Amino acid sequence: MAGRWSVRPAQLAIGVGIVVISAVLAVGASRFPAEMGFVIMPAYVYPYAVAAFLGAVGLLMGYQALTGGFRNLADDHETSGAEPGGKSGATWVTAGLLGVALLISYIGFVLAAALLFACSARGFGSRSPVRDLAIGIALALPIYWLFTAGLGVSLPPLINAWI
Amino acid sequence: MDILSNLAVGFAGALTPINLMWGFIGCLLGTAIGVLPGIGPALTVALLLPITAKVDPTGALIMFAGIYYGAQFGGSTTSILLNTPGESSSMVTALEGNLMARNGRAGPALATAAIGSFVAGTIATILLTLFAPLVATLALKFGPAEYFAILVLAFTTVSAVLGASMLRGFASLGIGLTIGLIGLDSTSGIARYTLGVPELVDGIEVVLVAVGLFAVGEALYGVLYQKEETASRHRLTSLWMTRADWKRSVPAWLRGTLIGFPFGSIPAGGAEIPTFLSYSTERKLSKYPKEFAASKGVGAIEGVAGPEAANNASATGSLVPLLTLGIPTSATAAILLAAFQNYNLQPGPLLFQTSGELVWTLVASLYIGNVILLVLNLPLVGLWVKLLQIPRPYLNAGILVFATIGVYGMRHSSFDLFLMLGIGWAGVLMRRFDFPVAPVIVGMLLGPMAEKQLRNALSISQGDWMIFVTQPIAASVLAVTLLVLLVPYLLHKRGIKLHEDD
Repeated sequence: MAGRWSVRPAQLAIGVGIVVISAVLAVGASRFPAEMGFVIMPAYVYPYAVAAFLGAVGLLMGYQALTGGFRNLADDHETSGAEPGGKSGATWVTAGLLGVALLISYIGFVLAAALLFACSARGFGSRSPVRDLAIGIALALPIYWLFTAGLGVSLPPLINAWI
Repeated sequence: MDILSNLAVGFAGALTPINLMWGFIGCLLGTAIGVLPGIGPALTVALLLPITAKVDPTGALIMFAGIYYGAQFGGSTTSILLNTPGESSSMVTALEGNLMARNGRAGPALATAAIGSFVAGTIATILLTLFAPLVATLALKFGPAEYFAILVLAFTTVSAVLGASMLRGFASLGIGLTIGLIGLDSTSGIARYTLGVPELVDGIEVVLVAVGLFAVGEALYGVLYQKEETASRHRLTSLWMTRADWKRSVPAWLRGTLIGFPFGSIPAGGAEIPTFLSYSTERKLSKYPKEFAASKGVGAIEGVAGPEAANNASATGSLVPLLTLGIPTSATAAILLAAFQNYNLQPGPLLFQTSGELVWTLVASLYIGNVILLVLNLPLVGLWVKLLQIPRPYLNAGILVFATIGVYGMRHSSFDLFLMLGIGWAGVLMRRFDFPVAPVIVGMLLGPMAEKQLRNALSISQGDWMIFVTQPIAASVLAVTLLVLLVPYLLHKRGIKLHEDD
């Protein structure tokens, strides 16, 4: 190993990220309006404290990242490189979740959940989208009935209270 | 005696048919979801929180007791049968139990886990019944300075004691504190860090973060990094334990309970320490050391009995600080606290005064929940095993659907769902770089509490910061915090590591 400096870029990025967050906290705290009247501990004291704490942590992590990486990092046997289908799978799952977030109030819970189900199943390796969609609907319908009619938790409908 | 009469009232409230029904449902749901690989009790409770929106508080809390215990048993089942522990405290069970299963003894392993949990849970609940009122009376003497000191201790132990790196633990804590800062500051009325987004004015819900980190994060992480597993099935021969099994298990259960309860009830976050401690104790005391996993044996039953009992006792023990002080010492307890707050119940010393009946009903339902667990789960083991045979893609997809319901059901906000996704990706990052997750949840929940207590303490002392050193209880708690921080570091310098497999 050449010298004390051995840089791990990803870890350094995390350290920097944390310092950035602490800076955001501090800047935000400095903008809090002054409070009226007699105040023992204004609203910015605690945020400043958290910012200072985080800043120190971030700096230390950056230091660790520059001198050989995070300490005591578990053996990477399970993360030694993403799985071949990994990145596209993650994209499918993310797409499914985004889809629900965007569409649920428009197409109702049942369809949105079925969509999520199919996309996630695809992400995890299933190769039959039509069947997955069907299973998704078959799963979401009874859940929908159970929650809306049975437990009183209202989920957005597509047409009426039954779908 | 006062305690007995209170308990009697509690039982009267709990033993109504409706509440029993909620208990059964809770137990079933808890086990069904706890059995799923990757879902621990914290997430199970978080996911099932919206269900209780329309149920009355007593019934809802009883349901949670069922879910809590069910989830733990479900986790043990997965650990033993599939060698996939849902959380770190189940790791030891997976080690010994799966070894037993692979040698054809899955039945006794499951039986000892279930019965051990029942024994431990019952004893621990008795201890809870005896100690909680005492602690509550003591806690009435605590002022804000003492509370603040205890909270700082809780922060430190959760972040610094567990996990490989104190620094990363503190980073997680910092993130949690930051999330806790978002929202309306009650004292000054200023909306902090809301970035103009109206949904953030109320702050971010604990359940959202928990579901995002645990469910979504785990799912994404699984897709990205985990190889296809060949889950080997084990023939479930007989569930019955032999006489020898009983003879070996009973002392192990008792020892496990005695180890687990104290650890659970102090602000020292987590059930890992007692389970590992119990495991090493059993190994040292066993008359059959060759059977243990480390000696390449066939799996020793004490190695499952002790840790399972310790796990359950510690979980029940964590209800002591939660109910009496309002301080959660684990992610699951934190979510229970969130659940309590949803019903406008503030756990703490005043809880016993103001909602005494409710608390005792909860305690009574803990006893009952234990019995339900035993009666229900052992016969149904076959069913739970079948659940595990659902193909992985569908299992994970289903989990995500439940996550969506859980989060959307709270505020009907698409923003929340986007947030959940973002937090999920943050969770992947955390998992990848070995950042512990529990400190985030604890920091998020306890941070605002700490600020409030700090403010109150300073108000009382007229701005004098020395109050934390001059009040004896506060000062000694802070001293303990310093010890917790320094001792592992000093030990490490001398080459002694506090590692699990010692």
